Amino acid sequence: MPTDRILSFTVNGEPVRLLVEPAQTLLEVLRGPLRLTGTKHGCDVGDCGACTVLVDGAPRLSCITLAVGCEGARVETIEGVATPAGPDPIQAAFDHHVAAQCGYCTPGFVMTLRHLFAENPTANEAELREALGSNLCRCTGYTKILTAAREAQAIYAGKS
Amino acid sequence: MLPLPRFDFADPTDLAELVRLAGEPGARLVSGGTDLLPSMKHRLFAPTRLVSTMRVPELRQVEPLPEGGLSLGAAVTLREVAAMPVVQRDYPALAKAARTVATPTIQAMGTIGGNVMLDTRCRYYNQPAGWRVALGGCLKCEGPVCHVAPKGKGCYAAHSADTVPVMMLLDVSVVFATAHGERHVPIRELYGVDGRTWLQVPGGSVLVRLEVPPPGAPIAYRKLRARGAIDYPQLLTAVQHIHDTWRCVVSAVGPAPLRLEATSPPELVEAAMAEVQPLTTHLASPAWRKKLVRVELARAMAELGIG
Ligand SMILES: Cc1cc2nc3c(=O)[nH]c(=O)nc-3n(C[C@H](O)[C@H](O)[C@H](O)COP(=O)(O)OP(=O)(O)OC[C@H]3O[C@@H](n4cnc5c(N)ncnc54)[C@H](O)[C@@H]3O)c2cc1C
Ligand code: SF4
Ligand code: FES
Ligand code: FES
Repeated sequence: MPTDRILSFTVNGEPVRLLVEPAQTLLEVLRGPLRLTGTKHGCDVGDCGACTVLVDGAPRLSCITLAVGCEGARVETIEGVATPAGPDPIQAAFDHHVAAQCGYCTPGFVMTLRHLFAENPTANEAELREALGSNLCRCTGYTKILTAAREAQAIYAGKS
Repeated sequence: MLPLPRFDFADPTDLAELVRLAGEPGARLVSGGTDLLPSMKHRLFAPTRLVSTMRVPELRQVEPLPEGGLSLGAAVTLREVAAMPVVQRDYPALAKAARTVATPTIQAMGTIGGNVMLDTRCRYYNQPAGWRVALGGCLKCEGPVCHVAPKGKGCYAAHSADTVPVMMLLDVSVVFATAHGERHVPIRELYGVDGRTWLQVPGGSVLVRLEVPPPGAPIAYRKLRARGAIDYPQLLTAVQHIHDTWRCVVSAVGPAPLRLEATSPPELVEAAMAEVQPLTTHLASPAWRKKLVRVELARAMAELGIG
């Protein structure tokens, strides 16, 4: 019988302690016991990026990340992106440019862009496109997502 | 949902303990998990215990080798490899190859060691369990025939690791830890001709580090794939010109990458055309992939300014 483990980590800044099975993915723990359903469950095998979260600042596909491997980690999900003051500039730009149609891919795109702008605020067009290659969208055709991403980048640049 | 089969988990922080746990029956090593976990969700493997390499310091180390060159820990991520100034300066083709694996997010998860140990791939094998069962399985998993070569007894699943062709031209030495000490295997001798038994080291062998010799002549690397991201290779080529010798590696066309040498560019291309035999392991047609061997080699040589 596999032994369950007590997992201690932080999710969007809040310390969390819970019992997990080794076979549970981070996605299952987020959407199940933690009720954080903003992170989406798409392909389940690493192809689509809908389940992207940040673990210790780096992007992770939560559907192929073992929860037990996140001991001590700092996990950020889409629920932690907006502040009481309002949406993040990426979210605002997605809204403004209607870069979400069905919206299923959106949380993943937002997390990918959060990471990109944190790591490389001056990413050029090629770097922006390379980063967005991590996420699939079946609706928008990507043009509006790119437009929103450029606008968000400009707002981020103006803020810092 | 595709749940993982149940297993136990260990994440040792000590190399000797990692080697011991990896040698236990039913154990399987996991690094980034980007190859293993999707395959486990598809029920290609059901280990009883996963042993993570990610907390063992030796596997996360990067350091210069005493006689020149670079030692890369097996659990260094592809993204870390590609971002290292020393790799960008001395081994730009390796940095380029690491950046063509899957997507940037997967490069931040997947490791260079996991890439060297990547399972061989085939359109009849990398499928959900129900899909495979409906077809009756195949020789690589739970079935009596190969759908690619039904009359044969072999498996032709394709080596698909993007960084390996470049590492073969760099003459990388792959260092494994065993209960009896270290074992060095030249990467050109690591792979064999059957897609089920392509790794020429015993199961449970722990890859600790990759020793990259000092840089030599420039290498051109190309990856052919359907989209600019996500996709596994349809064809990989790496080319190098040293004095009177032209060397290349052609991969994604069988269980082992093919390494060829010739004394002129046209001879190299003809040698590759004679040797390389793409099969229906991929969705793209074998005839088209065969034609692209010539085209991709010519493009790689043009990048080097030869041919
Ligand atoms: C959508 C998608 C697309 C992909 N596309 C590509 C692609 O285009 N090109 C490509 O090359 N790869 C691709 N991959 C596969 C994978 O991301 C990379 O090959 C990666 O480098 C694997 O490393 P990992 O650490 O995740 O390996 P893991 O999944 O952790 O392990 C892979 C294998 O190696 C074994 N292993 C791991 N570490 C060790 C060790 N230290 N010693 C001995 N054995 C070990 C494991 O038991 C397993 O059998 C893709 C994956 C996904 C999900
Ligand atoms: S080459 Fe044949 S035996 Fe090997 S995975 Fe493909 S169908 Fe199966
Ligand atoms: S749901 Fe994780 S990558 Fe598709
Ligand atoms: S908006 Fe529907 S998948 Fe992207």
